[in-house]
Amino acid sequence: MFAKTDSYDLKNAVSEKPFKGMLRLLHGFGWRYIGSVGGQAIAVSAKTATFFLLRYFVDDFFAAENPALSLPLLAVGFILLALIQGGFSFLTGRLAAQVAEGSIRRLRNYLFDHIQHLRFSYHDQSETGELISRSTSDVDALRRFFADQAVSFARITLLFLVNFAALLTLHVRLALLSVIVVPVIVGISVFFFKKVSSAYEAYQEQEATLSTTLQENLSGIRVVKAFARQNYEMKKFERDNWEKYIRGKKLLVIHSLFWPISDIFCGIQLMLGYYLGAQLAIAGEISIGTYLAYVGMVIYIIFPMRNLGRVIVQMSTGLVSYKRVAAILRQEREPLDTGIHTPQGGLNGRFVFDKVGFAYEPGQPVLQEINFACEPGQVVALLGSTGSGKTTLVNLLPRFYEYTEGSVLLDGVELHDYPRRYLRRNIGIVEQEPFLFSRTIRENIGYGVSKDVTQKEIEAAAQAAAVHDVILSFPQGYDTIVGEKGVTLSGGQKQRVAIARALLKDPCILIMDDSTSAVDTETEASIREALRNLMRNRTTFIIAHRIQSIMNADLILVMDKGKIIQAGRHEDLVGQAGMYRKIFALQTNIEAELEEEIASV
Amino acid sequence: MSNEYFEEEEFATKLNGKTLLRILELTRPHWKWVAGFLLTISLVSGLDSLFTYLSKMIVDQAIIPKDGQRLTELLTVYASILLVQAAGVFSFIFLAGVLGERIRYDLRKKMFNHLQRLSLSYYSKTPLGWIMSRVTSDSDRVAELVTWGMLDVTWGIINIVTAMVFMAIINWKLALIVSILVPVLIYVAIEFRKHILKQYREVRKINSKITGAFNESITGVRVIKALGREKETMREFGVLTDSMYAAGFRAAWLSALFLPIVQIISAFALSAIVWYGGLQAQIGNMTIGGIQAFVSYITFMMWPIQDIARVFAEMQRSIASGERIFSLVDSVPEIQDRPGAIDPGTISGDIHFDQVNFSYEDEQPVLKDFNLHVRRGETIALVGATGGGKTTIVNLLCRFYEPKSGNINIGGTDYTQLSLKAIQSRIGIVLQSPHLFSGTIRENLRYGRLDASDAEIEEAAKIAGVHDFIMRFPKGYKEEVGEGGSLLSVGQKQLVSLARAILVKPEIFIMDEATSSVDTLTEALIQRGMETLMENSTSFVIAHRLSTIKRADRILVIEEGQIAELGTHAELLRQRGKYYQLYTRQFRSRMDKVFEALPQAE
Repeated sequence: MFAKTDSYDLKNAVSEKPFKGMLRLLHGFGWRYIGSVGGQAIAVSAKTATFFLLRYFVDDFFAAENPALSLPLLAVGFILLALIQGGFSFLTGRLAAQVAEGSIRRLRNYLFDHIQHLRFSYHDQSETGELISRSTSDVDALRRFFADQAVSFARITLLFLVNFAALLTLHVRLALLSVIVVPVIVGISVFFFKKVSSAYEAYQEQEATLSTTLQENLSGIRVVKAFARQNYEMKKFERDNWEKYIRGKKLLVIHSLFWPISDIFCGIQLMLGYYLGAQLAIAGEISIGTYLAYVGMVIYIIFPMRNLGRVIVQMSTGLVSYKRVAAILRQEREPLDTGIHTPQGGLNGRFVFDKVGFAYEPGQPVLQEINFACEPGQVVALLGSTGSGKTTLVNLLPRFYEYTEGSVLLDGVELHDYPRRYLRRNIGIVEQEPFLFSRTIRENIGYGVSKDVTQKEIEAAAQAAAVHDVILSFPQGYDTIVGEKGVTLSGGQKQRVAIARALLKDPCILIMDDSTSAVDTETEASIREALRNLMRNRTTFIIAHRIQSIMNADLILVMDKGKIIQAGRHEDLVGQAGMYRKIFALQTNIEAELEEEIASV
Repeated sequence: MSNEYFEEEEFATKLNGKTLLRILELTRPHWKWVAGFLLTISLVSGLDSLFTYLSKMIVDQAIIPKDGQRLTELLTVYASILLVQAAGVFSFIFLAGVLGERIRYDLRKKMFNHLQRLSLSYYSKTPLGWIMSRVTSDSDRVAELVTWGMLDVTWGIINIVTAMVFMAIINWKLALIVSILVPVLIYVAIEFRKHILKQYREVRKINSKITGAFNESITGVRVIKALGREKETMREFGVLTDSMYAAGFRAAWLSALFLPIVQIISAFALSAIVWYGGLQAQIGNMTIGGIQAFVSYITFMMWPIQDIARVFAEMQRSIASGERIFSLVDSVPEIQDRPGAIDPGTISGDIHFDQVNFSYEDEQPVLKDFNLHVRRGETIALVGATGGGKTTIVNLLCRFYEPKSGNINIGGTDYTQLSLKAIQSRIGIVLQSPHLFSGTIRENLRYGRLDASDAEIEEAAKIAGVHDFIMRFPKGYKEEVGEGGSLLSVGQKQLVSLARAILVKPEIFIMDEATSSVDTLTEALIQRGMETLMENSTSFVIAHRLSTIKRADRILVIEEGQIAELGTHAELLRQRGKYYQLYTRQFRSRMDKVFEALPQAE
């Protein structure tokens, strides 16, 4: 049923004109939405028709000797009209719900997929919380716009139009005089609800402040107790709490003024109509039935108008949400499958970097003049301080970032020519603090492979990563859930799960951050072993911290400020004056110092 | 973030009368307000019914007899009722609304103040999100029930009753038919509403899962990209949005069904009136105005019925909220001052842990027959693996918890004989992830001693070595630290909390060193501040830095709740035991920092 609507590219819904863009969000649902408005019109008309039936009942049934409709028939007529009204207003609600929920589901899906296809550089710059709030609260605001606010707007308008038209058929002058206050009511309503909206915002702001105060107090309760500051905290909370009360009161005052004032205006209008209608009826210009029908209908013209202001103000917040969502939709996706070179036999892993440079912004290079080459199966180690560019350099390999200068050849072919998806399938990454998903350990290990993996394969990978025994020590074994809702793994355990994940993926190129500082002694040895298993026969890029662990690397690149300042094997570099030798000396010194100290006690 | 995942728990299955009574009692201090809005809403509600009757009179007494004089009279009455009603509407909105805010305020205050008294054990077994929703959404729901809920029900009942009275005046037999229908309608409406509410609960549940999915895919986007899992995550998310669609759609169309059903049922009443009323009118028992009044009464009866149904359907939820609030307010602080607890004016002296046993909620023993004698002014470094019991020792010392058995003596007195304030106001503490409060740096420092002058605050900041860096901020001491101190780095936060502790002039100093890396300069500053504090007080440091460990008078290696090794640095190194292993590993980890220490290459 949604196949047709699902294929619509929501990129089209990005428009400078919010209304136009919002309409496009409904692409494919248009007829149902129009049907919903049509149903609304029928329901409203049926309601109005009831009053005409009442008029007939009063005027013709009692007056005529042989009325055309009998009493039972009239009774059935009322029921029939009620059924039409009820049936169609239900249909309206159902259709509107289908449109709103359906189009919002499509938007949610699109946004989710869109976000995970946005470039690394976009994610670097955007805040997680902001993205989440746009994808959830703002999307929900759009849903309310389509499901409630627009529908209410249509209902109020239709009630007015249908009943006004009906009044015109009864008596033109009476009809016209019955709406003179309407513009005033709408005006007051818009004015008040704007005030309400800003007062409500202030109230909500204070609510947020109060929540922050509360949360800070609760999360810092040890500090509060340690300093015995309970009274101080109570006073602080009291201040914010009282302020919220005051702001709530202000909001209430606006409400308590608006409703009686609008009541008075509506009442005056009604009285005016009753007076005129009654005079006309007394003068015999209209029948009693007509008067009664008038009295019934005029209410539906006037009272709903009081809510128009609220609907309009709410709808304007929907527009703001649209703009916030559209700002994400507007971003370019990272194409995963463009690229002409996808060798069937896999990659060998021979890299040649030639004068490679990278910059987020033109003129502010992050990497410059990167030249080096490595053979399949070799180990390349990168050394350097934070911000020296080593992470950025390895991020070029899976095309997370696109180098902006020079050329990178992988197996003799320009890296640009490989599709991103192909590259990423062939490159494994083990981060310093690996991200695990809050699902079972089994799923986390098998996360990198699309095909179904057997328990045996998973266990084999876990064994090679030296984490199998740890996993079995949990009561639920491989079905243990990781993260907030499950077991918290230590840094070393996480890293080994990530190693198992990479092993199962079996990539021919490997990138890893070799940090063992967060790991305790016994696990350090097992991680070493796991890493050796992982690096076998793969071209490996290691971001290293200790020279002791990379002395056997085939190529060591010492980086500083986005450039390679030294390159070579350990034996060569130790022989040269430069940063490498300094680091080596310092790290060796530490070792010597330790031994000296131990010997001295 | 974690609050959003916090799923609403099931609410009580049946109405709890006791809780309802207790909720109603919340309004007792404000009974005048309650009486005020109940009175005005009753007036307004009765006048609503009177308006319809007045319309009947206009038809029967003015229009049909063609009496213009009577018309003017009746409309004058109409106008005056209108004014009275407007005044009534103003009063009940104001009274009920403001009272609602007041009760929210009262509840929040009561809960917050009680929370300050509760012991740390309460916090360890109660998730922060749970407490937060008690103070925010539950207090809202309860306040809503005793103000707008009560008001709507009163309005509805009075409206229905007065309408029935007027109908009975016009034609009692017809009124009887209607009076049979009303309870049926109300019952159907309440049940229906409950069903809709349940459906919306389902929607909210799925919605929080969707938020969770967004959170995970955004924070883990780099891994998803690296592993090329875009299609799979999308497929999984599609399952979620499908169930969201199903639940949301169902909830929406159920709500859309509600009013039409009530309307159609009342249409049967309407047709009965037309039928029977028509017959009665033919024999002169019913006027045209009377029929019209009946039609109006029945058409508008939908609204009070809807309101009553809403309140009763939501009542279960509100009472469950009340129950949770009361459970919070009723919980007794585990650690309180004993009767006759004293504040000796100083707690300086030796500290003895004597055969101390301790376990948290799960009954897993954390400390076993723990004995330790710390001399006044001594500095003890606590080292050992996470979960060994280091933090527990500190928690017991601060009397956040008390031993399950055994004693802790401070200055020769069993510390349960002292008042909590006597102990806690003389302890200076610096936590691993130092907690600051929103506000300025000065306000955060003053937390240590509320009556400290600005000069004293700056003095403490200077001792902690934090003064210079504070002065580098554009606003100096008036710089805002952000929520939880988020605008400062971990190192800066530690320095500020160190200065805060210095200001206390503590007799016992406790520090849990930060494990995350702090730059060398900051580390040196922290070192100096600590030394000052350690000189003047008995100190316990959960130590991660070699320099701190070495400087301690004694080092305590804690393992599985017991003292594994105890002695000076040199003694323990010579033992070649656990401390030796720990120390050498820690020492080597300095290698990782070599890059940061190295002067930038020329």
